[in-house]
Amino acid sequence: MKITKRGLTTTFMALALSGAAIFAGPAFAAGKMTVSSPQDPGSWDPVDTFLVQWAAVATNIFDGLTYRGPDLKLVPGLAESWEELDDGKRIRFKLREGVKFHDGEPFNAEAVKFTFERLLGDEGAKGPQRSNYIAIDSIEIIDDFTVDMKLKAPDPVLLTKLAGYGAMIVPPKYIQEKGEDNFNLNPVGTGAFKFVSYAPKIDIKLQANPDYWGGAPKLSELEYRFIAEPATAVAELQAGRVDLVIPPTIPIGMIPVIQGDSKLEVISVPGPTVDALRFNTRDGITADPKVRKAIIMAVDRATIVKSILAGQASEISSFQSALSFGYDEGLKTLPYDPEAAKKLLAEAGVKPGATVQIDIRGNDATMNEVAQVVSSYLSMVGITATIKPYETNVLLNDIIPQGKTGAMFQQKWGGWTFDYDNTAYAMYHSGEKWNPYDKDEKLDKLLESQRPLTDRAEREKILQEVARYAADRALELPLYNSNAIYGISKRVKGFVPAPDNRMKLNDVTVE
Amino acid sequence: MAGFLIKRLLQAIFVVIAITLVVSFAIRLTGDPAVTMFQGGGAMTEADLARIRAALGTDQPFIVQYLHFLKGLVTLDLGRSFTGGTSVSLLIGEALPATLLLAFISMAVSVVLSIPLGIKAATSKGKGADQIIRIFSLVGLSFPNFWLATMLVLLFSITLGWLPPSGMSGAASYVMPAITMGIILTATNVRLVRTSMLETLQSQYIMVARAKGLSETKVLYKHALRNCAIPLITYFGLQFGGLLGGIVVIERVFNWPGLGTLAFDAVGARDYPVLQAVITVLSLLIVGINLLVDIAYGLVDPRIRTE
Repeated sequence: MKITKRGLTTTFMALALSGAAIFAGPAFAAGKMTVSSPQDPGSWDPVDTFLVQWAAVATNIFDGLTYRGPDLKLVPGLAESWEELDDGKRIRFKLREGVKFHDGEPFNAEAVKFTFERLLGDEGAKGPQRSNYIAIDSIEIIDDFTVDMKLKAPDPVLLTKLAGYGAMIVPPKYIQEKGEDNFNLNPVGTGAFKFVSYAPKIDIKLQANPDYWGGAPKLSELEYRFIAEPATAVAELQAGRVDLVIPPTIPIGMIPVIQGDSKLEVISVPGPTVDALRFNTRDGITADPKVRKAIIMAVDRATIVKSILAGQASEISSFQSALSFGYDEGLKTLPYDPEAAKKLLAEAGVKPGATVQIDIRGNDATMNEVAQVVSSYLSMVGITATIKPYETNVLLNDIIPQGKTGAMFQQKWGGWTFDYDNTAYAMYHSGEKWNPYDKDEKLDKLLESQRPLTDRAEREKILQEVARYAADRALELPLYNSNAIYGISKRVKGFVPAPDNRMKLNDVTVE
Repeated sequence: MAGFLIKRLLQAIFVVIAITLVVSFAIRLTGDPAVTMFQGGGAMTEADLARIRAALGTDQPFIVQYLHFLKGLVTLDLGRSFTGGTSVSLLIGEALPATLLLAFISMAVSVVLSIPLGIKAATSKGKGADQIIRIFSLVGLSFPNFWLATMLVLLFSITLGWLPPSGMSGAASYVMPAITMGIILTATNVRLVRTSMLETLQSQYIMVARAKGLSETKVLYKHALRNCAIPLITYFGLQFGGLLGGIVVIERVFNWPGLGTLAFDAVGARDYPVLQAVITVLSLLIVGINLLVDIAYGLVDPRIRTE
């Protein structure tokens, strides 16, 4: 009986809504937008995944306490304001009033407490997101619209992390009544778009939430189709059945196809992803810093970026993008100088004909070409490089963590928090999974010292020192920071590309 | 008949166990789904990984995991996907019909095209029609299916705008995948029909049939075709099995939500439960098809039925 009643209510609501859509006029301008996304995350629950393709969709369904849009500035989300108390060990949030979840449930302090207790409790323990939020000790409700987040230790990146992924605020009653399984497949949030339907491996459909606290979306419907194959996604774009292809889908080689179509355009912005060829600093000739420096000086990275990456990337001098906190404009890499490289190699006692192996991800078409070029640059200074492509998961799961790489290996990295700590700690701290070869007490100390600092300037200084120190020791051959490449139909107006794929599409219109 | 079926059932069980054992074991050698889940997530500690492994059940010894899978098979509970926790039965339930339908249509396209063309080639052996059919068949055999698929998309979706380039939505979306698969299959099958027919046409009973004054159509399609059907059925049956395995590429190009797409993604994510389930379903299908082929022999050739 209850189900029938709910069914009737839903039908009535749907009728009422469609009526509203017809009569509301321009404020609810009709328009459906279809987006092609390369991967189906399988679950829409915020605690379940790190996939950027999840975030691309979920940013439109859920809100966090804070929000960080395409300009990467942290602004209020479901929290109107916040203040740090007790030396950064307590953050007090003033919550937005009058906000409702898509199922009608009110958003309040209770929902915030439920969200974080769920994330840090049994449900969160089953997913990967929890590890980002372990600094949170507990949530205290002060009143209906004020909460205190107590921290075990200050976490300078926490406010950024609250803007995405695991920290999305979820509806307590809905989850408790309908269960966790239902929530995976039928997400409910406070966001600009409401969930309509999800077909695994096919698509997820959303519709406008006219009561959105940030203003009703201009689109009426939003559909994300999962299309893994770049050529297929671009064909759909050309056929006019998809309005936007989000990264990482379009390879550099396909850009001219889109540019050649008068109905389409390519939009690209610097993204979080950086590529480097890291060194085995423990064994072989690359154990000698002189050899590592020689290799860096032997490779003309500017030419690689210009010719192979067609300008869709920028050179980097440390293992981070220019958008990252901790980036140092003043830091320069060793210049391209094959003669000096040869001298260094001679000093290190490396004879011409010495060999190195470069391990790369086999399915990374761009890196396959880049590695070829690196190899030919190296041959000019007398080093013979062989390239060994691995299936990505094998490289990540086995070859790198187990220290079974060649003298050089590709590492691709991109943390959505745009904070150098995320990369540097994982790459350089002793005993970390991604650091199979190196042990450096000074680096460890530097990395540990900045983690609890809430003084931004001080922390930035230390992070810059980390980058400088890593460059001095020549721990990697820094390559480039790739752009996030979007293919878009010209009928879409008002689209602002995000470096990290997380964007609310409520201001977008389609003609 | 009952004995025959029981034998086949035991055979099917053996095949499924052997295949899934090898696949499950091999995929576990290539990486840890917990690490895959953390990709892009920054620093992860051993404790984090251990927590995820415990949740996925991959902390158990292989044999325990495998027995758990077998138990699931018997109770028809295939577990949950590692990617997002969706019920595997639900995923298979949606992907299987998509793949089967596409395979059937492709097979039908191929049978409808290859039998008349093969017969035409056989009856006009060495003449113009034969030459043209054989050249087309050689061309068809030579180009890779994904290339043909891309060319079709370019022509029919982008230039002409007649057909949707990908996805499964309505009758129009079946046309290009089915034609791509169908044409490639036809290229092989035409040659098979032709050879088989040529052999049969040498037989004395064909001469008798013609001497009796039967029409050429009746001679070819009633007498000759039926006698050369045995090798054709065997081959088409095997081909259908191979088709299910080989559909991965076509499914990917046309973004078809079938078993191939499911398996492809599952391998990428080290999604053991999904991969094991897809492999099980595929091997059961192939065993089933072989069974159908055996039964079909009896139907077309009464001599086998009485044996």
